[in-house]
Amino acid sequence: MCSQLSGKHFCDCINWKGVCIYQEYIWNGNKAKEERKNYLYPIIKKEEVEKDIILITVAVSHKMASNLIEPGSFVFMRNPKCMQYYDAPISIMESNTEENSIKVAIELKGSKTRSINVLNVGEKILIRGPYFNGVLGLKNVKNAKKGNSLVIIRGIGQAPALPILKKLNANENKITVIMDNTPFEKLLISDEMLKYGSTMINCKMIERGKLTAEFKDIITKKIEELEPNLVHIAGPDLLSYEVLNQVADNLPVSCCNNGRMCCGEGICGSCTVKTNDHKLRRLCKLQTDPRFILKGRRKL
Amino acid sequence: MKVVIIGGGWSGVAAAITAKKAGAEVALYEKTDMLLGLGNVGGIMRNNGRFTATEEMIALGAGDLFALTDKNSRHKNIDFPGHKNAWLYDVNKIEPEVKRYLENLGIELNLEVRVVDVKKELNKIKGIILSNGTLVTGDVFVETTGSTGPMGNCLRYGNGCSMCVLRCPAYGPRVSLSSRAGVDDLQGEREDDVFGAFSGSCKLSKDTLSGEIVKQLEETGVVVLKVPEEDINLDKLKTKVCQQYALKEFAENIVLLDTGHAKLMTTYYPLEKLRKIKGMENVKYIDPYAGGKGNSVRYLSVAPRSDDMKVKGLDNLFVGGEKSGLFVGHTEAILTGSLAGHNAVRVYLGIPPLILPKTLAVGDIIAYANEMIKTKQGRRDRYTFAGASYFKRMLELSLYTTDVAEIKSRVEKVNLKDIMSQKLI
Repeated sequence: MCSQLSGKHFCDCINWKGVCIYQEYIWNGNKAKEERKNYLYPIIKKEEVEKDIILITVAVSHKMASNLIEPGSFVFMRNPKCMQYYDAPISIMESNTEENSIKVAIELKGSKTRSINVLNVGEKILIRGPYFNGVLGLKNVKNAKKGNSLVIIRGIGQAPALPILKKLNANENKITVIMDNTPFEKLLISDEMLKYGSTMINCKMIERGKLTAEFKDIITKKIEELEPNLVHIAGPDLLSYEVLNQVADNLPVSCCNNGRMCCGEGICGSCTVKTNDHKLRRLCKLQTDPRFILKGRRKL
Repeated sequence: MKVVIIGGGWSGVAAAITAKKAGAEVALYEKTDMLLGLGNVGGIMRNNGRFTATEEMIALGAGDLFALTDKNSRHKNIDFPGHKNAWLYDVNKIEPEVKRYLENLGIELNLEVRVVDVKKELNKIKGIILSNGTLVTGDVFVETTGSTGPMGNCLRYGNGCSMCVLRCPAYGPRVSLSSRAGVDDLQGEREDDVFGAFSGSCKLSKDTLSGEIVKQLEETGVVVLKVPEEDINLDKLKTKVCQQYALKEFAENIVLLDTGHAKLMTTYYPLEKLRKIKGMENVKYIDPYAGGKGNSVRYLSVAPRSDDMKVKGLDNLFVGGEKSGLFVGHTEAILTGSLAGHNAVRVYLGIPPLILPKTLAVGDIIAYANEMIKTKQGRRDRYTFAGASYFKRMLELSLYTTDVAEIKSRVEKVNLKDIMSQKLI
């Protein structure tokens, strides 16, 4: 947060990201930058992997595809016939800057995702983006180079995990994936995992809200054996939270940002969490170590 | 015992030396790739009362850095409007020499490392937090992060980032650690309720000046050129940090000094107007790069401190340089930094801190600046041995002298000879 834009009178820039956003604001005529816009893009491919899980490929502009290339990228998607409350935050599974397309996996759960499923190839879908904060601990992902990385994936977490695997592979890491495909039958990313040279261990991770003994055992052994430069967790918060309790506090970690994104602009407040320092924080904008959010969250 | 110094300008470097000489293990953190900060574009030493202060510091055992600036002087004992017996060090030679000097003393230098926060327990600093999240612990801390910038401050209180030698856009913004530790900063003012002041000079590339100007600069160290009548702007003087150079002569004339580059003694000056002056038709700025538009803004971050340089309200944080008061200049930074570094060790050992007596100019300025910052007028003044109100005070109190033997005897009289080079641990 910029201290001056938060109403203070002097710089106290402890979260500098490489540019002075106060300067950007002033040079923009004392106005905030424009919010992201909605774009209508055609669906060019749609596959039903199995019941209630679809893969959609959308042709987008080159700019949009390049903006969505990094791990943690997401967009809001909506059937153009629906009102804006139907905006569903969807992680980017793959962004192709050669063919200018994006691929997403959607688990059909409620009214938002089901209204998207009504659309077919050739029809246009409304996309708002790009957004970037879909992964917490991005710094740790980017710093993991030429080592062993451990990636824990459960269910639909496969989709946002794919750009992570790609990045880790590009940074010359050896990747070990622990996979729990619940609730699906088929793997979404088996080909890609091979492409990025990962070895995979299948294992059931959660039973009655607790980690299974088998999974705990695998984590402990793998961490000892691999001395990983990163443990990434792509699954529900419960999984991330329990895994964080299993690993050493100084181990670099990252995980899915499961905040309930609604506006994505730091305004509406639907993604807020209250951390132990009694501050309300917006997960759509806050980039931090997962421990700060998951272990430091106030339960009430 | 470990002293951690944050900020590698003249003041931090001075603190590192005195703390090391007193026997501590010393680690210094600097956010850019060079030591000396604004000292890389400074150069003026020993002018007016700074001569007295310099010799006092040498007698007090803190003359290391003055020996280096003296050795690297391009010009000695020159006069320019309002100033006598100035020495000008070569800004293109001084930094590597100081860096080697510190390395030879065994001081741990951490360059390109930015400090963003502190870890505190009660009134004690436990450690500093680097921008990558690492915690560095220590026993005593000396903050010499200065009061200049960062970009947002230069924008709000000045004309925006003018791309000065501190290079905030490249190395990141300065963070006030005393303020992070919960002690609010004080600010200097340039007019009623207008905070901060512009840095007082720019550097021009000598290659872009006429042969005649360059020749005179290199022979005499000074060139004074008339400003065209229509461009004289007396109002600009009051925006200036360096009140010792805020004289009418500096508005009516362009004063250039030879510090390796040509030092232009004005806050900023539109390039087009500068190029109207004979011999400067092709002139270009070297520091700040946008010297035609503005300059860095300073004095926005002064920590309240006592005369031993300790921050009020914290047990183990000391300050030096501009962080410790509305001081101007290298001599003043070296003085306050040296004392902060020395007292850091004393406080750790439980020995009473050194407070320099008011019979010496160096002791008087520290106490006087501290007294004055409490007043409205005092916050509009700057404190330097080189001129403005403080040099006047030096003259009135007969603190000013260029008699080296006399200065030595004043230091001996108060039993402080070589005090800051004593090993305490």
